[in-house]
Amino acid sequence: MPRRRIYNPLTELLAAVLLVVLVLVVNRWEFSLAVLVFGVLPAVLLSGRARQIGLAIVLVAGPLLLSSLLLHGLFFPEGSTVLVDLGIARVTAEGLTFAAGMGLRMTVFTGVLLTAAMTMDIPELLATMTHRGWNRKLVFIVGSAVGLLPHVALRAQQVTRAQQARGLVVGRAPLSRFRALVAVTTPLVIGLLVDASERNSMLEARGFSSPGARTSYLPDTDTPHQRRARRAMVAVVGVFSAAWLVIAAVA
Amino acid sequence: MITLDSETFAYDDGVPLLAGLALTVRPGEYVVIAGASGSGKTTLARLLAGMTGADAGSVFRGSIALDGETIRFTGTPTDPRIDPAAWSSRVAYVAQGAWGQLSMMSATVGEEIAFGPSNRGVPPERLRRLVAEVAAALKLTPLLDRDPRRLSGGQLQRTIIAAAVVQRPRILVLDEPFQGLDDDAVQDVAAALEALRRDGTAVVVCEPMLPLSAPSGARVVALADGRPVFDGALDEGLRAGLRRYGIGAAGDPPRVDPGIAADRDRRSPVPGPAHEPHREPAREPDREFDPPLVILRDVTFRYPAAGEPRPQTGLTGVNLSVSAGEIVAVRGPNGSGKSTLLQHLDGLYRADSGSVTVGGILIRRQPTGALATTVGYLFQDTDQQLFERTVLREVSYGPLATGSRRADGARRAAEALDRVGLGALQNAHPYELSFVQRRLVALASLMATGPVVWALDEPTAGLDEPTRSMLATLLTRHAAGGGAVVLATHDAAFADAVAHRSIWLEDGRIRGTSTAS
Repeated sequence: MPRRRIYNPLTELLAAVLLVVLVLVVNRWEFSLAVLVFGVLPAVLLSGRARQIGLAIVLVAGPLLLSSLLLHGLFFPEGSTVLVDLGIARVTAEGLTFAAGMGLRMTVFTGVLLTAAMTMDIPELLATMTHRGWNRKLVFIVGSAVGLLPHVALRAQQVTRAQQARGLVVGRAPLSRFRALVAVTTPLVIGLLVDASERNSMLEARGFSSPGARTSYLPDTDTPHQRRARRAMVAVVGVFSAAWLVIAAVA
Repeated sequence: MITLDSETFAYDDGVPLLAGLALTVRPGEYVVIAGASGSGKTTLARLLAGMTGADAGSVFRGSIALDGETIRFTGTPTDPRIDPAAWSSRVAYVAQGAWGQLSMMSATVGEEIAFGPSNRGVPPERLRRLVAEVAAALKLTPLLDRDPRRLSGGQLQRTIIAAAVVQRPRILVLDEPFQGLDDDAVQDVAAALEALRRDGTAVVVCEPMLPLSAPSGARVVALADGRPVFDGALDEGLRAGLRRYGIGAAGDPPRVDPGIAADRDRRSPVPGPAHEPHREPAREPDREFDPPLVILRDVTFRYPAAGEPRPQTGLTGVNLSVSAGEIVAVRGPNGSGKSTLLQHLDGLYRADSGSVTVGGILIRRQPTGALATTVGYLFQDTDQQLFERTVLREVSYGPLATGSRRADGARRAAEALDRVGLGALQNAHPYELSFVQRRLVALASLMATGPVVWALDEPTAGLDEPTRSMLATLLTRHAAGGGAVVLATHDAAFADAVAHRSIWLEDGRIRGTSTAS
């Protein structure tokens, strides 16, 4: 079951972005861990799409974590507590600590942003931004960025179906699934690029670059209360971040 | 009023098109641009839509005048650029291939139709009223809350036309707008275009074949090899012998290669009628068929609701048997379940209950790809089917995926391409080809794998007369060679000429069967 929507998607997206900002500013593993355990985890579990979001987080954050571990765990110049000496590389306690901190932050980023993106009511988000008078190209960029995942998934599904109809056998074994993933990648990227160039001229033909304010077919679901809340969130995070950075610099 | 005066146009391959073409379209006029594949009709439509292709390396020399304002082009980098936003507010354009025209910013059909006017700042109340009116005219009201990416081909086509009609342009240019539409939808679209014309909108429709009927006063401009060969009234065009330019008339049966008669007669227990070149229907009404290659028993299928208030039509209690040597047409209105039925034949969809047996194989849980040597599938949207970077690689994919060695796969692909007349285009990129050529590449891809059952979704949509006739020959030859063909189609003349039998679907149920007389 999809989760019950409480807030306007713009409020949710802003909250996700501000959370990422806070994790960056505070820059402490304890805070990152707290956000992960008390923020991201419940949000994923209550999203109604826990399996898909969990898989997406693993697919995106997994390689990042691995590269961070290899890079900083083996080649950390400031590392002095050597755990294993491999000649050209040294595993140091400092390097591993740094890699863990980085990895934790990246996991929080991907977790927060993917959870927000994959549970977002995109049309409502775009309608809200349009009603608020945002620049249409910015709205399109946000819409494309947030809507990219379902679009890519749909296109990948089409390519896979076409390949299966022509003899591609996708078994249940992980190796077979990996081969199918590799087979779909090149045509998927080419297809998306061709789609994008054709769609650009079609958007133009439907007046997308017209001057003046755009209107929305969907009604405005945003409320004055939430608009005030968004301004307050930005102000609070802005003031807190500035204070934190000043204190950190002085200390 | 729009006037196009083309001295010449060339894509980056340098081949000149539209040399010496002058076309004026007046308010309220209905102009049919007819031409076979490669005749230049899409190029002409794009020029009217203000797309000169200068940013893609095309060279246009001539002028376009819109409402008294003339823009001249000399084919040099200093040529003026047409402002697409301003131009499209007066000239709306519906290109071929509905999928590529979706904004991908809309989650519902209603939003998709509203996309153009909302870009131009039409107030929300008026926007919703306009959308409601156009949706009612094109019978789209029940679909307004559906995801446009999950519509049937005909429903999607109507949505894209509605999105153009709702803009109330001065000139509306449509490239093959009736492709894949059922008879009722064709009439609905024609009525919507008539309503626009009454308000002074000029309508330009590109078609591969001459329509049998059009609004009174309709004018035909026929193109062949990039040059105009006829300009006059439709009834004169129908008598002008345009078939020599590959321009047939809609509703005409396809012509079948006389050479196939021999193959067919060898398999037929009853001699066929005396063969008349160019007109003879390809089917054999009285022949006896071999054992069934396709058996559907009480097949029922439901799409997952996916949160939509009105999910897609599935199938209910479908029984069907298709024998070796038989061609069966699946007919019915848009969204009646034709594509769904076809996709059960190659395992892309699996029945919730009932059974599907193809080529003696009962489809259970085996992978779809394992059935590709038995059933070949032609998708309705060709561009969803092509994914390789050369035509030869594309067509070789099936043989290689089903176990052929590389050399053998390439040989089979080359043979299939020769059979569809594309042998010279092996190294081209599929996306560089015309719509009809891409369709043939998709067909060759199916043929190269050598399946005994062909499942074809709207195979004649958008084809010109020569290609349609070639397709009829290929299908008839496949059936004569012991294969079976199941095709979903709205092309009544093609089905009546080529298929031995038609089944009629409505809301996912078979409502009737008609046997060729």
